Amino acid sequence: MRDELIVSGLTVRFAGLTALDDVGFTVAPGSVHAVIGPNGAGKSTCFNVLSGVYRATEGSVTFGGTELTTLAPHRIAALGIARTFQNIALSRHLSVEDNLMLGRHRLTKAGFLSAGLRLPRARREDARHRARVRDIAEFVGVGDHLAAPVGMLPYGVQKRIELARGLAMEPRLLLLDEPVAGMNGTERQRMADVIVRARADLGISILLVEHDMGMVMRLADEVTVLDFGKRIAGGPPADVQRDPAVLRAYLGAAHEPTAGTATATEEEERERA
Amino acid sequence: MSETLRRPAFWALAGGTALLLALPFYLDAFWLQTGLFAISAAIGAIGLNLLTGATGQLSMGHAFFLAVGAYGYVYLASDDGAHVSGLGVPTPLAFVGAVVLAGVAGGLFSPIAGRLRGTYLGIASLALIFVGQHLLMNVEGVTGGFNGRDVPPLELFGLRFDDSPDLVVFNIPLGALERLWFLAVALLIPAAWIARGIVRGRPGRAMNTIRDHEVAASVMGVPVARYRAGVFVLSSMYAGAAGALLALVFRRTVPEYFGMFLSLDYLAMIVIGGLGTAAGAIAGAVFVSVLPQLLTRFGGELPLVSAPGTGGVSPAEAARILYGAAVVAVVLFLPGGLVGLWTRLRLRITARRRPPAPLTRLDNKEQPA
Ligand SMILES: Nc1ncnc2c1ncn2[C@@H]1O[C@H](COP(=O)(O)OP(=O)(O)O)[C@@H](O)[C@H]1O
Ligand SMILES: [Mg+2]
Repeated sequence: MRDELIVSGLTVRFAGLTALDDVGFTVAPGSVHAVIGPNGAGKSTCFNVLSGVYRATEGSVTFGGTELTTLAPHRIAALGIARTFQNIALSRHLSVEDNLMLGRHRLTKAGFLSAGLRLPRARREDARHRARVRDIAEFVGVGDHLAAPVGMLPYGVQKRIELARGLAMEPRLLLLDEPVAGMNGTERQRMADVIVRARADLGISILLVEHDMGMVMRLADEVTVLDFGKRIAGGPPADVQRDPAVLRAYLGAAHEPTAGTATATEEEERERA
Repeated sequence: MSETLRRPAFWALAGGTALLLALPFYLDAFWLQTGLFAISAAIGAIGLNLLTGATGQLSMGHAFFLAVGAYGYVYLASDDGAHVSGLGVPTPLAFVGAVVLAGVAGGLFSPIAGRLRGTYLGIASLALIFVGQHLLMNVEGVTGGFNGRDVPPLELFGLRFDDSPDLVVFNIPLGALERLWFLAVALLIPAAWIARGIVRGRPGRAMNTIRDHEVAASVMGVPVARYRAGVFVLSSMYAGAAGALLALVFRRTVPEYFGMFLSLDYLAMIVIGGLGTAAGAIAGAVFVSVLPQLLTRFGGELPLVSAPGTGGVSPAEAARILYGAAVVAVVLFLPGGLVGLWTRLRLRITARRRPPAPLTRLDNKEQPA
């Protein structure tokens, strides 16, 4: 089916360590699918395989029928798959606008010659895409910082720029690796709003790694739970939250306070109050 | 258009160009030659800055491509001689051919340049120096071996770039150096303009991101290896143009000039001037080219510096020590180099001129939670 992401039998081994072990799940077009699990469960590794950064040891990943595991990252990007990074991966010295313009790379053409000679078509292309990038910046709430070098902006803003850069790729599938990690309650709320609106307005599929159960419950249609590289549960968020295997995995991960279902519900209550 | 006329950058550029064009009427031969070295070096340094400054790919092989440009021009432009051969191509075509040859040489190395990152490329490209030196010394039919070759003067639209005595402007006879000066300026301006367009455009953003975060660049759709290879070819072509111009200025090419020290000089230029921009490359090229000449001219008045062979530090050595120190100083205290310093000064001046913005209440959503 078009735009459906199917992961099946995915295994990734690093020297002596199995980071992903026979993992499978499906992301339906236009849905939000959350991948949760304690630290080190293999969530980022999964993203790295989906975006072509890591090679799968075994298994397959298809998007709209195209096999991704053999493609280079830029070819996967060309299919309309965008991602953000858990640890911010922006160019610190470039302006916010230029960082977002990089997201337009796959949608634009200007090469050494046409950019160097400032050919009319390169200039027109640049103007057109800058306008769109500014709209996206407004949408995500970083429109006031367009000219600032990214490195001078606070962490929370940089996280939003990561999201904006992903959206600037006009993706069909957006992979978000812990988009609200390290943010406070208000910032989380705003980020969640942006994600909800992006999905509603743009109709894209979103695959989300997140620890904050409150957020997962609110955003996701489907949840896949990983623990030590294995898929231990999956299904609608309400079911997953009650799954004994999930509770065990999270209670075992005491070093990750926001990950516990108990703390997540507390936080939800605080937000409601 | 009026928008352009109001921009200070436009006037700085126009003033700079006018000054550049007026200089040959005032400078003596010594400073003309120094200036010509600086301009040629600037073109080469712009190319290296695209590669190393903007893309983060270290190259120790820049001198090799300078040599390809210099010898390529000589070989294409010369007629067959008793000991050395040549193709006798019209000299302007030979110049263009030299640039293309350097690009082709860069292209031959680009499978390596595309795969290796940063310092690893630096180490691999060191091999080019040794290959280059070996070829220059041993392929005597083309290079003239140890003694090098004479460089045929350029001839463009009937004007010979040598000392033939028929060109007088404003009562000043224009010899080879003056004529070459105008040629060099006419090459430098488009070289800088094109590089600036590249750096500020789509390719530049891709290059900067490859430097800052290779993985991010690739998942954003940048074919990293292809870009690295492409920039390597481009920087080789800049080096080729610089080499051919240097050959015209020297009027003789010799192998020992194109050794490892030349590559190091170019790296010093871009670090001192400022990594990643054409302006930085030009500032650094002027600094590194003019310093030894200043020491040669005025070294007698400085302690420790003396003529070569008289026991003290020779001007060339003193210059190397000085700009070695300059590199260290820039790395420690002046990130952004000379151009960065200028930007900071300018920001400080405009900040002083602008009245401070009134403090407004924080927007509700900006209030710390
Ligand atoms: N490039 C790598 N080389 C070796 N081990 C890795 C690499 N990337 C991840 N791992 C290991 O794989 C496991 C899963 O990591 P990761 O996917 O980052 O977990 P998560 O994102 O769920 O916290 C960890 O044990 C981690 O140390
Ligand atoms: Mg992770």
